[in-house]
Amino acid sequence: MIWLALTLLAPLGAGLAVIALRRAPIALSLAGAGLGLLGALGLFAGAAGGTEITATLPFLPDLPIRLLAGPLTATLALVVATVAAMVLLYAAGYMAHDPERARFFGTMLMFVAAMELLVLSGDWITLLAAWEMIGFASYLLIGFWHGRDGVPGAATRAFLYTRTADLGLYIAAFLLIGVAGTSEISATLSTTGTPALIAGLLLLFAAMGKSAQVPMQDWLMRAMAGPTPVSALLHSATLVAAGAILLIRAAPMLPGGALVAVGLVGGVTAVVAGLMALAARDLKRLLAASTASQYGLMLVAVGAGVPVAALLHLIAHAAIKSALFLGAGVFQHDRESTDLDALAGAGRARPGIFAGFALVALALAGLPPMAAFFSKDAILAAALDSPFASWLLPLALLGSVLTGAYMARALKVLWTGKSDRPVDAVPLMAAGMGVLVALAAVLGFGFKPLEAMLGAHLPEPAWIIPAMGLAVGLVGLALGWAVAPDRLLGPLLGPASRGFEIAGGMQAQVARPALALADACERFEQWLLAAVLAVGRINLSLGVGARRTDRDMIDRAIFGLVDRAIALGARARRLQSGFIHREMALTFAGIALVIGVLLAAPIYL
Amino acid sequence: MSLATSFFLVFFGVAAVWFGIVVFRTHSMVRSAIALLFSQTAIGAMFLVMQAEFLGVLQIMMMATEMSVMAIFMVMFMMDPGGMGKMDMTHQKRLSLWAGGIGLLAALVVILGAGWQGPVPDVPGADAQARMLGRELLGRSMFIFQSAALMILTAMIAATMVAIAPQEREKP
Amino acid sequence: MISELLIALSVGAALFGVGLYGALSQTNLVMIIMGVELVLAAALVNMVAFWRYLHPDEPAAQMYVLIVMAVMAVEMAVGFGIAIARFRSRGSVEMEEARDLKG
Repeated sequence: MIWLALTLLAPLGAGLAVIALRRAPIALSLAGAGLGLLGALGLFAGAAGGTEITATLPFLPDLPIRLLAGPLTATLALVVATVAAMVLLYAAGYMAHDPERARFFGTMLMFVAAMELLVLSGDWITLLAAWEMIGFASYLLIGFWHGRDGVPGAATRAFLYTRTADLGLYIAAFLLIGVAGTSEISATLSTTGTPALIAGLLLLFAAMGKSAQVPMQDWLMRAMAGPTPVSALLHSATLVAAGAILLIRAAPMLPGGALVAVGLVGGVTAVVAGLMALAARDLKRLLAASTASQYGLMLVAVGAGVPVAALLHLIAHAAIKSALFLGAGVFQHDRESTDLDALAGAGRARPGIFAGFALVALALAGLPPMAAFFSKDAILAAALDSPFASWLLPLALLGSVLTGAYMARALKVLWTGKSDRPVDAVPLMAAGMGVLVALAAVLGFGFKPLEAMLGAHLPEPAWIIPAMGLAVGLVGLALGWAVAPDRLLGPLLGPASRGFEIAGGMQAQVARPALALADACERFEQWLLAAVLAVGRINLSLGVGARRTDRDMIDRAIFGLVDRAIALGARARRLQSGFIHREMALTFAGIALVIGVLLAAPIYL
Repeated sequence: MSLATSFFLVFFGVAAVWFGIVVFRTHSMVRSAIALLFSQTAIGAMFLVMQAEFLGVLQIMMMATEMSVMAIFMVMFMMDPGGMGKMDMTHQKRLSLWAGGIGLLAALVVILGAGWQGPVPDVPGADAQARMLGRELLGRSMFIFQSAALMILTAMIAATMVAIAPQEREKP
Repeated sequence: MISELLIALSVGAALFGVGLYGALSQTNLVMIIMGVELVLAAALVNMVAFWRYLHPDEPAAQMYVLIVMAVMAVEMAVGFGIAIARFRSRGSVEMEEARDLKG
């Protein structure tokens, strides 16, 4: 239990402390990340020993918060904590001179806490909440330098695309909760039939958004506007992994139709994103497209029915891609830009960094004995053995070729060129990157014990698989090094560099309609406000009318009465003329009246 | 007898009324006073015709004195005693005419409408009347008589006091 | 006899009318007093006629006449006293100018 608390609460506490105190952000964040890593190690050790730690916290009636640290989730928690710790160490050097680093570190730690919560969640409600939190943290971190041109727009677009896809997750989660009657994930995974198919397709939709699969791959390109540590942590190893993690966890439930869709989406993405990476003019965008492509390969594995292969590739890719991003960050630090033209020759000035960069690049391409070799072979084997091998395998192979091609291209650009500028030492950044490079190199040997822990042994592949994998990797590397991309891609260069957008892409089909809808709602809101104000004005005018009535009619009546009484009195005053003769006339009239009344007495008495 | 009394009644009545009208139509003040005197004298004559001798004589004597006094006062206080100015010294003439007319008509209506019943009893002689009046005066109506006397005394004092000029206190 | 009563009463009525007209229409106080004298004389005529033709044996009626005569004299005396006072303070007894009690 203490490991669970440490894993979740250490980053959270450190994040809140940094945001509240705004002092010693680096020390606090490293402490938080370190403690979180410790907690994750504890969880992993426990899961490796066979114990499954669960926790249930009361929340809504019948929907408690469940945390689960089993073999799968503890492994993922360890991956997240390790990459987070290394990236924060790197960021201590990268963001050392930024005046707003307190905000940066605070938000990063909050993200780490939310990601751990997502990975360790045992029920759909917690997973949904954590899903939302990491999306929000991503928005805040991409838009960190919100004063620069294009950055707020990129952050908003990323948030908008992933939010649109999150709808699928919501509907799927509530569908599964409704069908299974409980929100616990492992219980709902026994759903079968049409609900399972629908839920699976919806989960695929959500994963497509978060993991930047076709057709939603554009947001990841634009997300590169954030700081490089953000790209290294969020957009290579953790946030985009959330989609794949979702599918891996839900894999036992997915029926055949959903698996077909998953594999198809993954395969198409692997190829399309690979082409985009090859045509990219910016190092970070190249790496972003590469990320989308690799996750496509992972989806191929899930679609082929072997989620373990996807998991292994996810772990390998996390180490590899984050190391690649950290290296790109160092070169960006040197050349103040990530444009490939500007970075020409940056690798020569930093041999150590470049060596690490090249190592993980070759690892990604699939060279043994590094981690991705084993995981890629597992994917190819799964694709070969699956019922849909006829198109999964070619797509996976093509994706691997392209992997090697764009990695070689990046290496070539970094190596060839002039480097006459002096560079300063970057100890923290080198340390963070170095650990990840080392992990990328040696993780492959840990895969067999991992498979034993997860209880899913992969069959030993036939010799053809490693041979194919090695061959396509070497072919890709050679092609990328030797041939320029525009000749390689030919007619596809144009669409590839524009991100293969169809009919205006997401901008026209999703963003503009969404913003137009928001405008319409705003106008409706204004109309409602005007209506309410009009009602208020009607009431006011009623009040004014009532007051006027009161003043004009009632007061006029009363004062009119008063005036008429005064006028009557004034007229009566005329009787008092003071003249004797008038008085006598009145006296005579009075006497006559009295006599008349008395004489007429017989009539009324 | 009744024919003669009727004739004289009519004659003296008309004279009284006519002289009364002359009082208010003439412009000269002295003539106005004299006309009133004649009117009152005609009324006194009517009393005599109606065999109220004491009252008739009393009326004529009193009115003669009063009217002379009034003539003096009129000459004192009038703006135009001689009546040479020809100014119309009346106000609210129409109202007054109406008032007089209505009074006259109302009285006539009552007179002619009331059913006076005869026969008329016998009138005692003059000395018998005087004797009865004296007895009445000093007998049953003594209180009234004394009150009237008191009233006259008070009025005399009051009139004198009102008419006396305020004394100017001379301070040495 | 009754006709004589009627004649006398009519004369009284006529005198009353004339006297009322005079009392209401004259501007001078003395003339007003003269009008009132005529009215009182009319009353006297009525009283004497009633005594003569209805109750000749009743001396109280003559008593009434005496009292009215006294009232006539007293009224004239006081009225003239007031006229003197007024004349002394204002210089005239014209009733058109006497508006002091105007409300």
